[in-house]
Amino acid sequence: MTDLVQLASSGLALGAIYALIALGFVAIYRASKVFNFAHGDLLAFGAFAMVAASGIGLPWPLALLAAMLATGLLAMGVERVILRPLVGRPVFVTVILTIFVGYLIRTAILLIWGSNPRGMPTPWEPTATVEILGAKVLLGSLAALAGAALALIAYFLLMRFAKLGLAMRAASADQESALALGIPVGRTLGLTWLIAGMLAALAGTFLGMFPRQVEVNLAFVALAAFPAVLVGGLESALGAVVAGLLLGLLQVLAQAYVNPLLGHFGHNFHMVFPYIVMIIFLIFRPYGLFGEAEVKRV
Amino acid sequence: MPNRPLAADYRDARRLWAGRWERRGLILAIVAAIVFPMVAGHNALTIANLTLIAIVGASALMILTGFTGQISLGHAAFLALGAYTAAVGGQAGLPFWLLIPAGGLVAAAVGLAVGPFALRLEGLYLAIVTIGLIFLVNHVLLSFPDITGGVGGIGVPMHLGFAETEGSVLTPFSETWQLGGIAIGFEQKLYALYALIALATVLGLRNLALSDTGRAMMAVRDHDLAAAVMGVNPARTKITAFGVSSFVAGVAGAMFAYQQQYLTVEPPFNLLLSVQYIAMIILGGIGTVFGAIAGPVAFVVLTPLMEALGRQLPLISELSSSQQSTLLFSLLVIVFLIFEPLGLYGVWLRIKRYFLAWPFSY
Repeated sequence: MTDLVQLASSGLALGAIYALIALGFVAIYRASKVFNFAHGDLLAFGAFAMVAASGIGLPWPLALLAAMLATGLLAMGVERVILRPLVGRPVFVTVILTIFVGYLIRTAILLIWGSNPRGMPTPWEPTATVEILGAKVLLGSLAALAGAALALIAYFLLMRFAKLGLAMRAASADQESALALGIPVGRTLGLTWLIAGMLAALAGTFLGMFPRQVEVNLAFVALAAFPAVLVGGLESALGAVVAGLLLGLLQVLAQAYVNPLLGHFGHNFHMVFPYIVMIIFLIFRPYGLFGEAEVKRV
Repeated sequence: MPNRPLAADYRDARRLWAGRWERRGLILAIVAAIVFPMVAGHNALTIANLTLIAIVGASALMILTGFTGQISLGHAAFLALGAYTAAVGGQAGLPFWLLIPAGGLVAAAVGLAVGPFALRLEGLYLAIVTIGLIFLVNHVLLSFPDITGGVGGIGVPMHLGFAETEGSVLTPFSETWQLGGIAIGFEQKLYALYALIALATVLGLRNLALSDTGRAMMAVRDHDLAAAVMGVNPARTKITAFGVSSFVAGVAGAMFAYQQQYLTVEPPFNLLLSVQYIAMIILGGIGTVFGAIAGPVAFVVLTPLMEALGRQLPLISELSSSQQSTLLFSLLVIVFLIFEPLGLYGVWLRIKRYFLAWPFSY
């Protein structure tokens, strides 16, 4: 039981980070039909920006805000300079383009901050734990869960009630009609990328905490979050969050319980497990958990 | 003055050269390809062999992504399957002329198993499922270290015949041959073999593009619903594309294994390799046979140039050489995607039109 609580807590913390990443993907995909492969690198950038911001002496909450803003502005710049000229081109052109934009961001990180891993600053002791049901749970994991929950609530409130959220929903439904109704689609897209960048920085901050370190390879976690995006359905923010949490939990539980069962084959099996789940899931529901079924028969 | 006679019938369109200039160019290219290994040094031959491998690999991706429009990021997985077939078979003493097609067949078997996913999934979904394929294949390769060498890697012996016993009469392929006083080294032999495979692949690609199967693929790429209405079977076309493409990719993987002589799983067989192949076909010109040759040539030849350029630039010179070339390539691909969607093929078309219309500007 203690083990299970322990595993569940770290699984949910990982899942919360996946949910933040997946939400960033979905926000951008809904707005501009771009699947942003550079998202992982934005996340790594956010983590480094966080380290740098607290390095110059900003208090923790302010540093987090500054890192989120910096990453958001970077994302906005990427959209404006590189992706805007490609509106209307085939999907896969933007896919390839964002992969290479990711490489550019990664090189920028290496140029600015170098390749040495470093610790993520936290307002509490990095290894501090809290006792829940007899299990020792890292404070960082709880913070990740709480932070992710706050960000998700803020995002959903924004989408539901704010004028900007309405504009974003309109632009994602039909850009031309939105333009005809006087919605500044270009600016809305830019702001969507800003929000996605901020979510990435938040995910990066929590991901860089204690068991892990801040390094450029944090970007690869975005690859692990892909299954969450697809299982949730590319268009569905709620699906992204639910699938993110589930996959984080599943991955940690698989590492603890499935890996040993498989003997030698089980070594690192939890890294591919989400992909196997995704493939099986997609065979039966190609449009994801909450995605809309496209009616098309060929 | 247009020097290409109008293709009046189908046989005309299929001719290997359309006019005088194409024929001269072709003869020149063949002569150059034969003379090259005699004069080239060791490094130039290695680069040439890598280029030939890349041409075969890029042709494979061109069939799937360029002709059929299925975005696959799993190309590295098919290459890995071909390469490891060659390595494991070589350890068992099988000859290379059996293992190169065998690598293709193993990769094609997996490709045919993945193909049906393309019937249910489109675009991005397929791209990400194929990323999963890389992870799965690499995981399996690493999980059986007794057979594949695992993380430590595996040597790739290249046998000329079935080597059943130690010290048999059959010499390994890597030995130098003496032919009438001329020494033919391993690299030269590899070059000759690879040039033939690459030539066959490119001719096959060109004929595929002109055949009904090839046109069916392009119809599916452009609009699968319209293609279905016209009587093309999209399901069969997509699965054919997956099968053919993964077979050729497996062959390229086996070629790569023999060229490297020692294999590890990661690197080289990771997402970056798939992305590099996609960069090649974009650089060359997506959906064209020209692009399947020009892209890999530009990629392999430009890499050392990019590294040399990177050393000269401030700031960038602090990075490692592979990071420098990745960075400069990323910039190049981004510029091409934004400004010249047809890649080098587009550039070539523009140059050709300029001279055809000379002295007029269009």
